[in-house]
Amino acid sequence: MSDAIEINGLTKDFRIGMRGYKLRAVEDLWLKIADNEIFGLLGPNGCGKSTTMKVILGLLEPTVGSCQIYGVPSTSVRSRRDVGFLPEAPYFYRYLSGRELVRFYAKMCGVPKDEIGDRTEDVLKLVAMDEAAHRRVGTYSKGMLQRIGIAQAVVHDPRLVILDEPTAGVDPIGSAAIADMIRSLKERKKTVLLCSHLLAQVEGICDRVGIMNRGKLVLEGSVDELLEKKDMRSLVVEHFPASAEAEVRAVLEKHGAKLASVEAPRISLDRLFLQQTRDSDQLHESEKEEA
Amino acid sequence: MSGGSLNRITTIARNTFLEALRQKFINVLVILAVALILSANFFRQFDFGSSELKFITDFGMGSILFFGSILSIVATAQLFFSEIENRTALTILAKPVYRWEFIAGKYLGIFALLTVFTMLMIGLLAGMLSWREGALMERYPDDFAEGRLVSYGGLFAYGVLELLRFGIIAAITMFIASFSNTNLYTVIVSFFVFVICQLQYVARDGWNDIGNPLLRGMVWVMALLFPNFQMFNVAELMIFPGEQTLAAASAWGIFGYGIVYIIAFNALAVLAFRGREI
Repeated sequence: MSDAIEINGLTKDFRIGMRGYKLRAVEDLWLKIADNEIFGLLGPNGCGKSTTMKVILGLLEPTVGSCQIYGVPSTSVRSRRDVGFLPEAPYFYRYLSGRELVRFYAKMCGVPKDEIGDRTEDVLKLVAMDEAAHRRVGTYSKGMLQRIGIAQAVVHDPRLVILDEPTAGVDPIGSAAIADMIRSLKERKKTVLLCSHLLAQVEGICDRVGIMNRGKLVLEGSVDELLEKKDMRSLVVEHFPASAEAEVRAVLEKHGAKLASVEAPRISLDRLFLQQTRDSDQLHESEKEEA
Repeated sequence: MSGGSLNRITTIARNTFLEALRQKFINVLVILAVALILSANFFRQFDFGSSELKFITDFGMGSILFFGSILSIVATAQLFFSEIENRTALTILAKPVYRWEFIAGKYLGIFALLTVFTMLMIGLLAGMLSWREGALMERYPDDFAEGRLVSYGGLFAYGVLELLRFGIIAAITMFIASFSNTNLYTVIVSFFVFVICQLQYVARDGWNDIGNPLLRGMVWVMALLFPNFQMFNVAELMIFPGEQTLAAASAWGIFGYGIVYIIAFNALAVLAFRGREI
């Protein structure tokens, strides 16, 4: 089976101003993203992520090189039948309801008429927007907009889903829900290309990441492979007595190893926030039930 | 065209039309046009006799042309750039949608708006004329000895030609919008082109007197590039068919002329939009 995305030697130049000054946004990019993989494309602003994404979506043509989606050139409209896209800070038609919006994009994607209803309800449930689907998009919060954006991106059941900053401006609860949705997309055998600045989230979701800088891919590999310190191991010990530290150090030295540090493991602030808000929500619910 | 294409084009057109109906500026424009046509009622105070009908028609058709032209240009530019600036075009074009389908859908949505506008105005004008003609027939029976002066069929047929004129203006605006960067630039340039098209007959008249073949050729090309809107000024012949009438063949000729320019400018818009970076 061909790769979900195959980029071969992509270079993209933009002509700027009357004199046609050349600005190179992406330079000699080679990248393969396998089917059913969650790939995180990272990098600072202006590094060429968005340009790369637009080339994948066929919105821009490469100056040099090529890009294929499941073996079909990205310049062909046919390639987009297999692609769903959530833009950064999506703006949708504010006067449509969430359900109407998803139906609109289903029609755009050529979903057969008799399937539009079922597909719409299915994706609204997937993004947990079925109860708010009757409301106008203009009344949605940022988190809801992102979720309805994911719904429109997957309504035609694409094999590849491209998400540009899906958690931008969304609170940690909403971010966690979107992360769960991305995982469920993988369970549904989708490939996900994720662009995000929230590195902790990317780390928790992605199988592989690529880091771009100044238009070039500077690092690429699996998350574990890139982050693991291969020559070190950590032990998590319950009820560790301080008095034992000297003995542990001596034992390790006997085996030619060195205890680098002893510290209390920490949970992330995101996780603490989620725990606390869930606990207080549960307390609030039980108080309401008792009342 | 595949069924999928047709479905996508009509979906975009429907959405464009509904979005247009929600634009305050467009609603204000329509209300002003309605008010102006209804205000033709005040002509009866001047006691023009049967000539009053021609005054009402001229005033009404003038209002329709004035507001219809503004609507064609502003609505097209506004509805096109709202998609680009709000990045909804990005979401649509990231779907399996051809750029020509996007342009065709937007244009048809705008054309639907212009159709509603023109037919509403023509309907109002027909109502006004019918009401005044009825009153004048009682007051000046000699002037109407041969029956009614106004051809209402001709009025609606003229409405179709006027709609085509607006259709050409909208297609020109769509073409300019397809490569320009701002709404304002599009509106200003489109208005200039509209004025050129309205006054193009002056160049055509001058063409006959030009001796230099190069200059003559240039004027000929320009005359071909800009549609001659003077051709559409046949209201009196169609609405008051007295001694002079417009032959059906001529009316169909104007109709075909309009259709050709609409297709040509939309084709140019598609060509320019294909290379545009979204």
